[in-house]
Amino acid sequence: MNLLASLVDGLLIGFVYGIAAMGLTLIWGVMNVINLAHGPLIALGMFGVYLITTALGVNPYIALILVALVGLASGVLIYAVAIQRVINAPHLSTLLATFAINMIIIGLGTKVFSTSPYTIDFSLGSISIGPITILGTRLVAALAAVIVTGSLYLFLYRTRPGKYVRAVANNRAAAELMGIPSSRILALSFGIGTLLAATAGGLIATFFPFTILAGGAYELKSFVIGVLGGLGNPLGALAGGLVLGMLEGVIPAFLPNTWVPVLEFLLFVLILLVRPSGLFGAKR
Amino acid sequence: MPILEVREVASGYGDVQILWNASMVLEPGRMTCLVGANGVGKTTLLRTVMGQLKPMSGSIWFEGRDVSRVPAYTKAALGLVLVPEGRQLFTDMTVLENLEMGASNPHARPALKRNLARVFEMFPRLHERMHQKSGTLSGGEQQMVAVARGLMADPKVLMIDELSLGLSPVLTVQLFQNLKQLKQTGLTILLVEQNVQMALAVSDYGYVLAQGRTELEGPSRQLASDHHVRSAYLGL
Repeated sequence: MNLLASLVDGLLIGFVYGIAAMGLTLIWGVMNVINLAHGPLIALGMFGVYLITTALGVNPYIALILVALVGLASGVLIYAVAIQRVINAPHLSTLLATFAINMIIIGLGTKVFSTSPYTIDFSLGSISIGPITILGTRLVAALAAVIVTGSLYLFLYRTRPGKYVRAVANNRAAAELMGIPSSRILALSFGIGTLLAATAGGLIATFFPFTILAGGAYELKSFVIGVLGGLGNPLGALAGGLVLGMLEGVIPAFLPNTWVPVLEFLLFVLILLVRPSGLFGAKR
Repeated sequence: MPILEVREVASGYGDVQILWNASMVLEPGRMTCLVGANGVGKTTLLRTVMGQLKPMSGSIWFEGRDVSRVPAYTKAALGLVLVPEGRQLFTDMTVLENLEMGASNPHARPALKRNLARVFEMFPRLHERMHQKSGTLSGGEQQMVAVARGLMADPKVLMIDELSLGLSPVLTVQLFQNLKQLKQTGLTILLVEQNVQMALAVSDYGYVLAQGRTELEGPSRQLASDHHVRSAYLGL
């Protein structure tokens, strides 16, 4: 029965991993950029919710909405400042550009927050269903992740700017010929990827302690999930997140906790070997 | 006044110059063709006209305005539209979405419904397939989507790069008939073709591009019947 409880716990966190990975995979899918600043942006989402909650005394979920909006704006800004000028250069240039952003955030963050852990003092209690006890914050985080995923789909498939994002991802030159301003769409996409990273971070911060370096682990998980779900495929990312969350819930029941990352990356290598397009199909 | 004018344009990719001196005048409502052997710079000229490549020298004028430095994505809003070589569809999107994307420019957006009805009337097959992903269509159907998507932009000048490439003769004839209909509605068309005979048969005026230069021009019928032109430039 303990196993069932950890499984449910893992699944709930898996939803949040899913939206973190969605941010990474969306940016890769639209502009073929591997965003090495993904982890620090997740950490900034954590600190964003922390700062707004403690400074203004508001509910963390209200803080989260603000953090999401600031995330969107920061992503657009990062694109304009650091990525636009190297977007057509070889992959190494964009990799280094996002790595530079990564170093800047971590450097400044360490200066301001040090590397000691922070927690948000907030609880929603818990609910018990039979032998399973679920933390309220984790349940809300999972629900929020589902809402975010749904909204992303509505945006991409039902709105004009969303369709532009898909068109630019599919064929940038043709999109330009049709009158779509592709560099604005790329900036928007980077903004949405950042929004997703910051939102995931903010949700995690409502139930886990965090440091400015905490994003790194989630960035690596996002890579595993992205490959699992098929890079460039947002719904695959959610499914991949659930798979990873479940593994994290179940593995500690049989093996020491330290085995979790070992098995996760073993899975990563296996997927790359056996099914490189991911379990749920990648964007070609 | 010509609607589009290319004046002594030189262009290419990086250090590789492909066009040395290309000049061309498109009169409104006329179907003009640009012919020449493989690799003489036809596609380079179109890309330069659209702004995907910047001219090294020379200029491009559209409706009396110098548009040499206007980026590609604003050309569509002016009414200058290219159906690119190799179709370049949004293969992961449905036929309908491809057509919607064609109407992205602010000038075409209000006319979306009317233009959609128009292209479905011209290509009933696309109406049947409108919810299918465009990447799963046959080559001929994909070419129809490419032309239809161009029309959705509500162009004043429609430029088509290699309409007939990879299509069956029957379908090629049908698409050229469609273009003739479009010309009747007042659309200015520039055809860029390797299928020289067909291009000269349907168009009003022609240019011959050779070694990066527009070497010859004249009424299409005249070009098609001139012995020297046929053997020296057109390989007929």
